[in-house]
Amino acid sequence: MDMLTFNADNGYLEAVVRGLKASLLRRQDYTNLAQCESPEDMRTILNSSDYGLWLQNEPAPLQTQALYDCLMNRLVYDFRSIRGQSYAPLSTFLDYVTYPYMIDNLVLLLMGVLRNRDLSELLDKCHPLGLFEGIATLTAIHSPEELYREILVDTPLAPYFAECVNVHDLTEMNVEIIRNLLYKAYLTDFYQLCVERIGGMTGSIMATLIAFEADRRVINITLNSLETSLRKDERMMLFPRVPGGLDDEIIQRLGRADDLQAVAMALDLSSTYRALFQRAAERGEYSLEDQFLEFEMKLLRESFDAQFHYGVFYAYFRMLEQEIRNLTWIAECITQKQFAHASRVVPIL
Amino acid sequence: MTDAGDLASVKDADRLIAIIGDEDTVTGFLLTGIGDRTRPTDPTYLVVRRDTSDATIAEAFEHFTRQRKDVGMVLITQNIANRIRSNIEGYTGRVPAVIEIPSKDQVYDPRQDTLMQRVQRLLGIRDR
Amino acid sequence: MSQRQVLPVVPSRMTLTQVKARLQGARRGHALLKKKSDALTARFRAILREIVDKKQRAAELLRDASFRFVAVKYVVGDELKHIVQESVERAETRLRVRFDNVAGVSLPCYRCVSGSVSTGPVATSTIATAAAAAAVAVARNDGYAEDMRAAGPVQTGVASVAQYRGLGRGGQQIAACREAYNEALLALVELASLQTSYLILDEAIKVTNRRVNALENVLIPRLENTIAYILSELDEQEREEFFRLKLVQNRKKRELARTQAQELRARERRAAQALRAFDMNSFEQALEPDAANTPSILEQIAGADADLLPI
Repeated sequence: MDMLTFNADNGYLEAVVRGLKASLLRRQDYTNLAQCESPEDMRTILNSSDYGLWLQNEPAPLQTQALYDCLMNRLVYDFRSIRGQSYAPLSTFLDYVTYPYMIDNLVLLLMGVLRNRDLSELLDKCHPLGLFEGIATLTAIHSPEELYREILVDTPLAPYFAECVNVHDLTEMNVEIIRNLLYKAYLTDFYQLCVERIGGMTGSIMATLIAFEADRRVINITLNSLETSLRKDERMMLFPRVPGGLDDEIIQRLGRADDLQAVAMALDLSSTYRALFQRAAERGEYSLEDQFLEFEMKLLRESFDAQFHYGVFYAYFRMLEQEIRNLTWIAECITQKQFAHASRVVPIL
Repeated sequence: MTDAGDLASVKDADRLIAIIGDEDTVTGFLLTGIGDRTRPTDPTYLVVRRDTSDATIAEAFEHFTRQRKDVGMVLITQNIANRIRSNIEGYTGRVPAVIEIPSKDQVYDPRQDTLMQRVQRLLGIRDR
Repeated sequence: MSQRQVLPVVPSRMTLTQVKARLQGARRGHALLKKKSDALTARFRAILREIVDKKQRAAELLRDASFRFVAVKYVVGDELKHIVQESVERAETRLRVRFDNVAGVSLPCYRCVSGSVSTGPVATSTIATAAAAAAVAVARNDGYAEDMRAAGPVQTGVASVAQYRGLGRGGQQIAACREAYNEALLALVELASLQTSYLILDEAIKVTNRRVNALENVLIPRLENTIAYILSELDEQEREEFFRLKLVQNRKKRELARTQAQELRARERRAAQALRAFDMNSFEQALEPDAANTPSILEQIAGADADLLPI
């Protein structure tokens, strides 16, 4: 991609995204929000932000779930308006950004099919960004094979399925395993898209971000499978691998790790994650997951330092997700009267 | 009385635990494995959302307490119990036991609890 | 009123013994029931107190649990609830009912039985120092290993979904949350036992007290009254008997006197006839003037004896 032509196609959208990013809530805003007594107070503060419009029609008193729905509607709206004005390859890139939602939706549907649930009911529970063609015909689906033949093959995720799951295994495989296999395939594919097909600045920025995402999943899967009956080779199979991620040595060690200590020792070889791991241990309140988020936000912020690349779009939506998480956290803390914890969020900017 | 994580395998004769509550509370309890949907249209839990009517709640409550014979305990969050207070006061059976639990966004108030009212009257505790 | 409360019995020595036996039985029953009522009440009050405590504790546990759920939502996202709700299949945690006996009243005792493999990933939400957590992990491992064995046959591909929940993200938070809810659930199950016991005891105490009161205020006084009644009847009968005997005795005496008098008169009459027949003519002249004036002895006696009934 050429810096010369970038602005012709994407200049406007990049400007829009940078503008939107500038209006994200800041540390100070979170401090103020954490002082609120009720979600209604939060509304007063949020009214002066971009959310004012979205919240104005919500009846008082504001419920946490309603707040979440509003925030999510806003994210969906932002995304759709940007996606609607984009040209290829940005449009393809943006589609890829929605694939994680699609994976979640498909896994949910698969779970429903396996348990003979009414799929049309599940439709309402699907994430709006993860919808795909053919979703309207869901009511006619009664078995995993049908789901695969009628729906899955037409989705962009079909190659991932083909790669990791045998159709006949759909019934027997654990859906959580399928979810992680799909995600692994997705990350690899996304990496290829960014680095090989789009390349340039986008490639180098996204390589870092995707590598981090992959590493985070590797570490999480390791930690979360320590005491399950998941076999070591299965665990290895779930690890997403992209160039620029964790070393082979660390991956191998994590794959063999039996307990937390082994994980800690494996991560000791990586300067980045050693630091995160140690900080998580030192600051008891913040979990490793929080450290990951903090680190991710830093990477996302840095992606805005460069110009002429698609990374900012990815970054903006990840940041917006984080903002939604933070706001729901604060709202929940306030409604549950856990005021002391309300300020414990991972700020974005 | 109750042993955490009893290792005996579950028998079908063992009774179920039904729950009526807000989405998060129900989901939280479902994590412990109390939910049952062996009959797909007849789950042992009811998620009360913003648009759930009192009639639906009352119906579910009556269903769990009177019609289903395999339920041994009905958990119901307090704010929802308040909406169908007359049904709860009208229920005099012993099995299933109806237990009011605090809802996630309200501090638990024993004075609203039908059972606690009676208990405290018996104990002669007025304010606690 | 209680004076009127008398059983419809025939007052006799035999019924007296019977009623006395019944009274003794009633008194013994009363003492026993009273003891039972006391035992039940003691248990009842203990239960009431425990209910108050447990309810408070359960509320706290639940508060903690819902806060942990917020942490889960923070990490995993909102779609978790759909996943959890959709993965519900067959209840892995259920209630088993056992019965406890308190003074003849069987009280249910619920117990939580779980056939599930509660193998969430590491239960600690924050990563403490690796060594400490590892120690916890080892300790937990044993427990889980046992769990696994127990649940081995039940476990199928579908049932173990819960095991890998949040594998890619938030597994630790989910496990911590699950533990918290489990704890709250156990407290609630205990509460359910107490609550049901409370209702049953409440009724049992009412029934027992009603019986105690019935014995104390109705049956025992009635039996006592009956005994008093029988005794008084028996006394009455005795007095009547005595009086009757007296009467008979009197009558007998009088009859005796009358027969004696009759005999006396008859004898006198016979003597007078004999006198008259013996020397009527020879003494008639000599005694004529006097005989006419002087009444005979017999006439004198007869006149004096006015008490005698004419024959």
